[in-house]
Amino acid sequence: MATIRFKVNGKEKVVDTHTTKTLLDVLRDDLYLTGSKECCGKGECGSCSVMINDEVVCSCLVLVGQVEGEDIKTVEGVGTSTNMDIIQEAFIKEGATQCGYCTPGFIVAARSFLNKIEKVPTLEEIEEGIAGNICRCTGYTKIVKAIQTAAEERFSRIGAAVTQGNLQGKGD
Amino acid sequence: MMVSEIDMISPETMEECLQILNEYEQEVRLLAGGTDAVVRMKEGHWRPKLWLNIKGLRDLRFICEEKDGIHIGPLTTHTDMVQSSLLQEKADVLVHAAKEVGATQIRNMGTIGGNLGTASPAGDTIPALFVLDAVIELSSVNGIRRIPIEEFFVGPGKTVQHKSEMITNIIIRPQEENEIGIFEKLGPRKAQAISIVNVAISLKMSGDGWQCAGGKIAFGSVAPTVIRARKCEVLLTLQELNEEGISNIASLAWKEVAPISDVRASAAYRRDMSTALLERGLLRLMKRWEDR
Repeated sequence: MATIRFKVNGKEKVVDTHTTKTLLDVLRDDLYLTGSKECCGKGECGSCSVMINDEVVCSCLVLVGQVEGEDIKTVEGVGTSTNMDIIQEAFIKEGATQCGYCTPGFIVAARSFLNKIEKVPTLEEIEEGIAGNICRCTGYTKIVKAIQTAAEERFSRIGAAVTQGNLQGKGD
Repeated sequence: MMVSEIDMISPETMEECLQILNEYEQEVRLLAGGTDAVVRMKEGHWRPKLWLNIKGLRDLRFICEEKDGIHIGPLTTHTDMVQSSLLQEKADVLVHAAKEVGATQIRNMGTIGGNLGTASPAGDTIPALFVLDAVIELSSVNGIRRIPIEEFFVGPGKTVQHKSEMITNIIIRPQEENEIGIFEKLGPRKAQAISIVNVAISLKMSGDGWQCAGGKIAFGSVAPTVIRARKCEVLLTLQELNEEGISNIASLAWKEVAPISDVRASAAYRRDMSTALLERGLLRLMKRWEDR
């Protein structure tokens, strides 16, 4: 057992646990952040996606002893039902979710993808961006459409902010 | 042993890490990106007494050009390699290979040192490192030794690295101006796929035509370790790399490889696909050379 300190969604957390427990299990069992899901448990499906220092990773393959002092963002930190991210709004608008199990992983991966691009992406770029996430219901068409919608929304907001000479909000 | 019984130490310096590797008497394993190691721990194959977590050794994450070549730190992630302008300019074949690994999540986590240490015959960066004459630097408390990549692997999952050593640097040859490279991979699907066959090709062209002055070809996933296709390499310079020449070279590839049948593909299919991938790679390279 060890005491491990790290940040989750902007808040300092201190957890007493085994260093070899996965970050995913600690998030779910110890911190009750059950948005991130376990599916394959071996880095193939992306259901457990979280961001560590803004990089999207599979939290099922990170041991909690490895995240001492790191800054973690889960789907709960991307947006909540009362304060939704534009990606979450777009998923609802486009009907991009069915059973919902993969959705948190897609939201986190899509948020990380949008953080790193500078223009509205092509469909191929979106597909490449979410290639690490698997959905067995939707057939992906609506997920890709939702991410495109969110990207258009983001860049139109930035465009509006630029014309108003105010870039602080960055639109999201 | 239960997972909860495994200890973890996160050394703060390389020296501290080497000291632990030297002194720790029970089984110890290095842990970096975890994309292989943690899966093997979960499946019960790897249950060391100690994980030596080196993920935090930021000094081992670098890409820089020195007098003796391009130095790549073992903790460099696949994403780092894809985004490196130095590698894009002078080691395009390695950038292509790194791009083919997993998907964003895995590329953000997995490291080049881990790809070498895991020593999978299907590791995607390894054929690229073969054609770039990579040298692996192994350090221990007793000093440093440098191993050419062709002598580094002994078999699937096996390398010449001793228990007290760790990979501390990977040195590759920068490509020259007349040199072009490509990485071709066949997997069950585009992303997140383990290679059924992969091949890295690096060619030095002479003049503006289709005459090649020399080159290297390395196949993965078709033998116990990555292998060079030496007969094909000899043929590269003996004829122009037009469609006919390329077809002649590629038709020899199936004799160069020694694949097994496994869950991913049969040996016969791998042999056929070695020829197909080499032909495709050479044709694409020549197209690029023509369009440059």
